[in-house]
Amino acid sequence: MDAGRKEKEIKLILAAVVVLFGVFLVWPMIMIAIQSFTSDSGVGTEGYKTIFAMKGFGTSIKNSLITSGLSAVITSALAFVMAYTVSYTGVPGSYKKFIKTIAFVPMFLPTITYGFAIIYAFGRQGLITRLLGGRQFFDIYGYPGLILGYIIYTLPISFVLIYNTMGYIDRRYMVVSKILGDDALRSFSTAVLRPLTGTFAASVIQCFALSFTDYGIPNAVGGRTDVIATVLYNQMLGALPDFNTGSVVAIVMLLPSAASIILLTYIERFNIRYKTVSEIELRRNYFRDISWGIGAGIIALFVIGIMATVFIVPFVKSWPYETSFTLDHFRKVFSDSELSGVYRNSIYTATLTSIFGTLVVYGSALASSRSNLGKTGKKTIESISLVTNTIPGMVLGIAYMLLFSGTPLQNTFTLIIVCNIIHFFSTPYLMMKNSLDKMDSSWEDTARLMGDNWLKTVVRIVTPNALPTLAEVFSYYFINAMVTISAVIFIVGSETMVLTTKIKELEHYQQFDDIFVLSLLILLTNLAVKCIVHIITIRKKGRLKTNEKEN
Amino acid sequence: MEDIYLKHKEKEMNEMLQLKGIKKSYGGKIVLDGIDMDIENGEIVSILGPSGCGKTTLLNIILGITGCDEGKVLFNGEDMTGVPMEDRGFNIVFQDYGLFPNLTARGNIVYGLKNRPEITTVEEVEELIRLLDLEDHLDKRIDQLSGGQKQRVALARTLVMKPKVLLLDEPLSALDGVIKESIKERIKTIAKRYDLTTVIVTHDPEEALTLSNRVMIIENGKISQYGRPEEIITTPQNEFVRKFILHQLEIKRNNILTLFGGDNGARLAVREG
Repeated sequence: MDAGRKEKEIKLILAAVVVLFGVFLVWPMIMIAIQSFTSDSGVGTEGYKTIFAMKGFGTSIKNSLITSGLSAVITSALAFVMAYTVSYTGVPGSYKKFIKTIAFVPMFLPTITYGFAIIYAFGRQGLITRLLGGRQFFDIYGYPGLILGYIIYTLPISFVLIYNTMGYIDRRYMVVSKILGDDALRSFSTAVLRPLTGTFAASVIQCFALSFTDYGIPNAVGGRTDVIATVLYNQMLGALPDFNTGSVVAIVMLLPSAASIILLTYIERFNIRYKTVSEIELRRNYFRDISWGIGAGIIALFVIGIMATVFIVPFVKSWPYETSFTLDHFRKVFSDSELSGVYRNSIYTATLTSIFGTLVVYGSALASSRSNLGKTGKKTIESISLVTNTIPGMVLGIAYMLLFSGTPLQNTFTLIIVCNIIHFFSTPYLMMKNSLDKMDSSWEDTARLMGDNWLKTVVRIVTPNALPTLAEVFSYYFINAMVTISAVIFIVGSETMVLTTKIKELEHYQQFDDIFVLSLLILLTNLAVKCIVHIITIRKKGRLKTNEKEN
Repeated sequence: MEDIYLKHKEKEMNEMLQLKGIKKSYGGKIVLDGIDMDIENGEIVSILGPSGCGKTTLLNIILGITGCDEGKVLFNGEDMTGVPMEDRGFNIVFQDYGLFPNLTARGNIVYGLKNRPEITTVEEVEELIRLLDLEDHLDKRIDQLSGGQKQRVALARTLVMKPKVLLLDEPLSALDGVIKESIKERIKTIAKRYDLTTVIVTHDPEEALTLSNRVMIIENGKISQYGRPEEIITTPQNEFVRKFILHQLEIKRNNILTLFGGDNGARLAVREG
């Protein structure tokens, strides 16, 4: 390989990435594992014995498994109905857009907010309860609330997965199946369900892992029903913090979630990817359109019903007693220097997370996708991406708390930002890598023959063409940094409070008006960022159609 | 035989590109074995063979993207084997052109001048643009260009760098009918105008034999025959050349002759049978 590229820059990037993830991912994880095997009486499995003997711990694991599992299946089914309506029926385009938007919206809010939104929608004085004549159909605290919350939380992810796969399924299979004499049911099963099996499984597993490790929802609507996330929180930040037991619970939480993500990566290999995707005209079928349309509509209404509280409560004097319009709550939040300071903190954290996160992601993806780096180098980056995906936010946060308490990094913005970058690394990395993989592989060589060095090519060619994806990565980091609570709750300090952790604090003082104002601020900020990115992406993408082979 | 040898000695004095005993294997599988090749200055040479025969690997070895396990690449007698790609002074147009979609046609053409402004004058660039008939397309985005225009922009961009050897990887495969012929003519014009040594990789015998001064046929990593087009047609050296190269051309010819007039076509069909 004497004549090959030297690529000093790539090796430097790889080294930096390895150091970053070594210090802030591998080391903390090793420490928490060691901690879990340490107790007052020395080294051993003492901690594990104690925790499994502890009253209620088994029940909380069972609760976690049941609620997460059940909601994962329900969510995937609901997301399927929505995605099918958008992809395979002839309902009007505007209605499809509406369904799509509703399926995405929950992404822009923290899970802790859904919890409170559910209380305000289905509680005794809730919006929906009142609309239904004051009758409460179920007690929202416990299983129903948890499942409801998990469903809303994971609906966007499940929808994206299923909707994207539907986009890859060749529509001609519908025609082929019909021509070969299948009836409606059989053709639905061969042309839609069968190709979706892998994605459906992936969706269930992904939703399960997310719900299993979420803290925001059980915190709000768990009531007396303990789940593993609440146990973990109480061990670490409760009345009697116990780091040893806490780290044992963290490991117990890590194992199922890690197992499911590894299973997920395994399943993804079997996913069917059709090479050519041809659009065919849908047959007109009013029965199909109306029935799927109504199904998707009901789901959308249910999401809107819960989300509506986020829009209504902040503008109402005192829900549910005085329902006249007011802006007092907003005025109060903005005049409260502490609350507006928290908002600024969140914007600051999210912006810096996005900037540095995008850089880390871009560097890693360049190294793995557009370099002659050896197998080991590329494997390292792939493994980092997989590992970050398996580690729940709470576990990462607790590991940081154990490791960085007493160091200058404790409670700093730096630590929060690094934590976010690592916690959310996997998805944007894969986004970036896919986009770089699709670019013409001869660009670097061509540019080098015209006198560029590697860095110059990256600046002049690769980056301008990667701009839409870079913008998407930026917004992914931004939105997640705005809504995350699981990891940061363990590492924020009084000076570095962000909106989600502030909401948790306000809950303690029952200040729900403020909670909803802050939630709405998060939602609006995220929507604004998403819109800006969308505009950039559309404008750039129009210009950057890859050169197709035509004459 | 003797005068061929003398001619050979004489050529070695001239400017030329030489490959000597090139051998390359990937993971134990031999891709190229014992490739010897001389290319005279200003000559157009095609490397012809079916897909997977190693022709693209050979092109990459000449260019310097890939190293070889054994053998040497010489240019004007100078050993280039260890010289990095960008210092060899060769240049290539890749199969799918590798145009930069974030730049206009003009931006692509003058790309290299940002790095080496002294290499080509404004007048020379303008002449190139005229020669390739690109005046009207300079401000277009890449995705607004047709396949033939893209190919010409890519050629111009490469020629601005004044390569000592021009390499073309399947330059015509993405083009259809008439455009193919016009690009062929342009490649010939340019090679003549700039006295440019040109090496073309192709899988299409017709392309290779009508475009180049000499053709090297490769089969399974070994040279099957290396000679002028008429030599290959009149004296195919082995079964491979006869079966895969000539046979294909004959079918083509017969089809065309049949189209244009029954008699000739029928006669040839009989002879072929």
